[in-house]
Amino acid sequence: MTEPDFWRTEIWHPLVLHFPLVLLLVSTVFQLVAVVNLKESAPFWQRAGSYLLYGGYISAWLAIYTGDLADGIVSRTICDPTVLKDHEIAAYYTAYIFSGATAVDLGLISGLIRRYRKVLRMGVFCLMLVGSGYLMYAGHLGARVVYQQAGGVKVPAADCTEYIK
Amino acid sequence: MKNVKSILLAFLLFVPFLYACQEKTDVVESGTYQGVIDEVEAEKSEIYVKTEDDKRLELYFNESTELTQNGQTVNFDQLREGGRVEVEVEKVGNRLEPRAVRILE
Repeated sequence: MTEPDFWRTEIWHPLVLHFPLVLLLVSTVFQLVAVVNLKESAPFWQRAGSYLLYGGYISAWLAIYTGDLADGIVSRTICDPTVLKDHEIAAYYTAYIFSGATAVDLGLISGLIRRYRKVLRMGVFCLMLVGSGYLMYAGHLGARVVYQQAGGVKVPAADCTEYIK
Repeated sequence: MKNVKSILLAFLLFVPFLYACQEKTDVVESGTYQGVIDEVEAEKSEIYVKTEDDKRLELYFNESTELTQNGQTVNFDQLREGGRVEVEVEKVGNRLEPRAVRILE
């Protein structure tokens, strides 16, 4: 017997989801530093936070896509799919909120938005704070699906026959 | 140039919204329920059924699910959003296993 194939459909979601998790949370921290930092380095933190936000925005929707693929498999096996549904809903809220923040931020950086820039900059930061809250909640629910219900996890036979060479 | 940038920006940000936001679902006891198909996800062999008491059931078909219409076995592609169905479900933990789905019209 050989070890079961690793590249299953449901594996793509955990491979992708850590990118938005890190990028979006770190971008929020960078934006916070930019907001409270009145020194010359503030523009650096703000711009770095923006670039991380764009990466996080793209990877968040990739995580939604791969999560949707995994859902069709995992929902059939776990004992409480309502947790998975709540995870999905929280993930969509996260992606929508950070998409809104990305839209406004791109408008500010590209110069398309010329008025109320300070207020909008603060609005972007507030959106990112709320989005980070949803992101952590989505992560918590995702962890409950995996670690409490073995969602997407290949459970070996009790005698480990798959691993005997 | 500014117009092109605006259009590209709007398109980039619009694409994700093609994904509909998800609604909550309900868990019911094992039994038979009638309702209307709220959503069909053919690629996942999945349907959402809105029951007469306003519960939204998420049902993933499996090998043992019997799909019939007028007593005859039919294919999954016969299911349409808005169509009336009777579903026989078994509650396993908090998961609903569809044992039988009968298309009523």
